[in-house]
Amino acid sequence: MEQTSYSRRPPSGDSIFAKKRKSCPFTANKVKEIDYKDIETLKQFITERGKILPRRITGVSHYYQNLLKQAIKRARHMALIPFVAEE
Amino acid sequence: MRKERIALYEGMYILSATLSEDSRKKAFDKILTGITEKAGKIEKVHEMGRRKLAYDIDSKREGIYYVVFFTAPTSIIQELWKEYHLHEDLIRFQTIRTENVQETLEFPLLKMAQ
Repeated sequence: MEQTSYSRRPPSGDSIFAKKRKSCPFTANKVKEIDYKDIETLKQFITERGKILPRRITGVSHYYQNLLKQAIKRARHMALIPFVAEE
Repeated sequence: MRKERIALYEGMYILSATLSEDSRKKAFDKILTGITEKAGKIEKVHEMGRRKLAYDIDSKREGIYYVVFFTAPTSIIQELWKEYHLHEDLIRFQTIRTENVQETLEFPLLKMAQ
């Protein structure tokens, strides 16, 4: 992984474990609410098969992951995004 | 008796795409009058048009989407829910509490489907 100024601890030498700290895209933009109709945004946080991506991968904060989860489930109910996407 | 609370709601409705123009209008009017009859007030109606469903619902592949913002006494939502389930042309619906009315819906994906 690339070494950036965000790294959690100073990377020691040529360590391959140097971590890049992810930042929450919603916190950065000070989003108030996540709309379930905004499919383009929601699609960034689901896999190709339609599963919700975990926080450890996307870096979304706990607060926004909760809103995101709710929005995705609402969008699924209204057939805007699939429950299970076929290949 | 306690005074009834009034709240702002956002309802999304999917009507069957196989309906004719007239019966579609009639079906949607039935939804709107259903709200106004029970002392609700329509704030804003968005017609989002025809759109492909992400998965089949009752072997239907397309639907016509509507978003309605309305204020209503909180107690009528339960009655509406029962009513909607008896509505044959309404294939999916969802009513959620919101804070403010969206005057415009800016979602390119939905606009494209119109």
